[in-house]
Amino acid sequence: MARPNASQAVSYTTEELARYEAIVQRYARHVYNVAYRMAGNEADARDLAQETFLRVYRALRRVEPDAPLESWLYRIVSNLYIDLLRKRPRGRVESLDAPVDTPRGELLREMPDPGSSPEAIIEREQLDATIQRALGTLSPDLRMVVVLSDVEGYSYEEIAMFLRVPLGTVKSRLHRARQILQQRLGRYVEARRRGWEP
Amino acid sequence: MRLNHHRASQLLSAYLDRELGPAETAAVQAHLLDCASCRAAYEGLRTTKELVGQLPVAEPPAGFWAAVRAPWLPRRAGAARIRGVFGRRVAWASAAAVLALALAATPLVKGTIDRLHASEIGVDLYVRQHAQAMGAEPFTDRAYLGLTTGDADLVLSGDAQPAGTAPR
Ligand SMILES: [Zn+2]
Repeated sequence: MARPNASQAVSYTTEELARYEAIVQRYARHVYNVAYRMAGNEADARDLAQETFLRVYRALRRVEPDAPLESWLYRIVSNLYIDLLRKRPRGRVESLDAPVDTPRGELLREMPDPGSSPEAIIEREQLDATIQRALGTLSPDLRMVVVLSDVEGYSYEEIAMFLRVPLGTVKSRLHRARQILQQRLGRYVEARRRGWEP
Repeated sequence: MRLNHHRASQLLSAYLDRELGPAETAAVQAHLLDCASCRAAYEGLRTTKELVGQLPVAEPPAGFWAAVRAPWLPRRAGAARIRGVFGRRVAWASAAAVLALALAATPLVKGTIDRLHASEIGVDLYVRQHAQAMGAEPFTDRAYLGLTTGDADLVLSGDAQPAGTAPR
């Protein structure tokens, strides 16, 4: 646990810092995951998630103990992401992490992962990258809904509450988002329907 | 309740998610029995949802946990936008961060690739882990952190090192 430190802007008590640590434990992984699926790259995802928790930290005294924070956190991530899009020239935010051209096969042969073949791992990574790219083609509104629903598994009602939009909006955005994704992922969707496992 | 094709096709996602009431659910089911086009659309949506749902949980990069646990510390050049909150120390540190950036940014891309490369061919585990961590987040390199915080002790207050970070 973090201990009080001269450089902190606010001097929190040990209990308050423990509370902050508990919030980090409970939510940070999910916040990072949502940020990553929204931004599509590690650097932006990290900035978004870190900025989100900086806000939690600053507002710590106003956070009720044990209150569910999903709603607040995902709204912050969503707003920060939209700010990021506004500040950046188009195209820079949407891009995936640049693929690093490394001899992966060599590396994998050197350190074998028991249970899955290098080919299977590479195929899976390619599929994941394709899905992430397809997510990146959605408008942020549609992307957020599909990430909260299909990646994080929230109900329509929860998503409506998080994003402060009517239930019907969640329903229609999600339907539209999946239709677009299906189009973009056509080859994979078709392969899977026919029972070829990627 | 009876649904025409257009209305039913609009409800397929919600039907898939079990987010419809009983009457609508029954009506969509009845329509699916009659309509091959909606059955195909439903299968496509279901498979799409499945594909997106199988994305792995993204693993935060090296340095993420320490930064989130100690948000008052300036971590890297990108954190300069949080200045103003923490007073003079950060103002000083972000000036140092600009210097660190100037020192680091030019060879950054090549340096990152070299580090990633080094992480593959290095035989020593420590070197490999360190090279991987630095490839992922060059600004957490101790030299940079020491420079940006101006106080090596601050680095230690950042709590447990996440997996994959080099032991120090
Ligand atoms: Zn139909």
